[in-house]
Amino acid sequence: MAVAIVTLVMGVTLGYLAQRSRICFIGGLRDFVLVRDTALLKGAVAFFVTAWLAFSVAGSLHLVDWGVPTYAGQPAANAGQAAGGPIGWGLSLPLVIVTVVAGIALGLFSTLANGCPTRQHVLAAQGLRDAVYYLAGFYLGVVAYYLVTKPLLALVF
Amino acid sequence: MNEATLRSAAALRARLAGRRVSPVGYGVLAALLAVGVQLFFGVAPPPAYGICVACHTRDMIAWLANHLAGTRWEIAPVSLTVPLLTPIGMFLGALAAAKRNHERRPTSLGTGLRSFVFGLLVVNSAIVALGCPTRLLLLGAYGEPLAVLAVLGVIAGILLGTFLLRQGIVR
Repeated sequence: MAVAIVTLVMGVTLGYLAQRSRICFIGGLRDFVLVRDTALLKGAVAFFVTAWLAFSVAGSLHLVDWGVPTYAGQPAANAGQAAGGPIGWGLSLPLVIVTVVAGIALGLFSTLANGCPTRQHVLAAQGLRDAVYYLAGFYLGVVAYYLVTKPLLALVF
Repeated sequence: MNEATLRSAAALRARLAGRRVSPVGYGVLAALLAVGVQLFFGVAPPPAYGICVACHTRDMIAWLANHLAGTRWEIAPVSLTVPLLTPIGMFLGALAAAKRNHERRPTSLGTGLRSFVFGLLVVNSAIVALGCPTRLLLLGAYGEPLAVLAVLGVIAGILLGTFLLRQGIVR
């Protein structure tokens, strides 16, 4: 129960800040390529660098248990992670290919959809009807993942 | 609450109203929150899971399906008893920000069906790629090489997308 409340409160904070900053991690690189605007890109870089520093500091204080698998119910859980241990250097080639292709699809579709999932939540909250449709697809898409995508991937792994 | 507290709360609210946050400010705060909820509030396992719009959505929907329809869809261990609610919170937080700054107005670009399909495609590719762009950066910062590869894929995808947009192949 506690984690649900913690993430709800964190989500409200993030949503508020996201609306005020117009943040979009996909839009960062898109804006840089299209109009050489680096404002959003700096936000994504700041996120990565801060997270990296925070994990490094936490690690040196022995606050992180590096032995926990990083999967989260993804196909990776059935493939490389099972054999490769906590941080997956024991990556199989099919796993690498599927992950990179999924990454390309994520970047491509998010660019064409006009923003990352975070940004779409903000746009929907601001009253953009199209973003509400996007979220409908996003939430229903989870059902499609379990019924179609996951069984399909099980053929690869 | 006494009058002084009320007055200072009102002053704080007035100061925050209309105030913009820099994207860098968002990035730094979001990263500290993402790492913080894992280290100090037990939002794990898996690690580097503090923020993920796609995975947390997946956990919510699958949790509902498992409890209401009796499915046995696999979700993240941390979401087993009660799912993480980040995406709902994000929507509510953005709604509050938009309302109090008078930036909430119903608009439509008329791309409803197209947006629906993109939403569907994005959540599927994100779950397979280990998470939404935010979690991929978080997991890469944590040190997972597979997430770094996925981020490189996302970068390639964005470059491809902007190319298609610029060439007018896709509008």
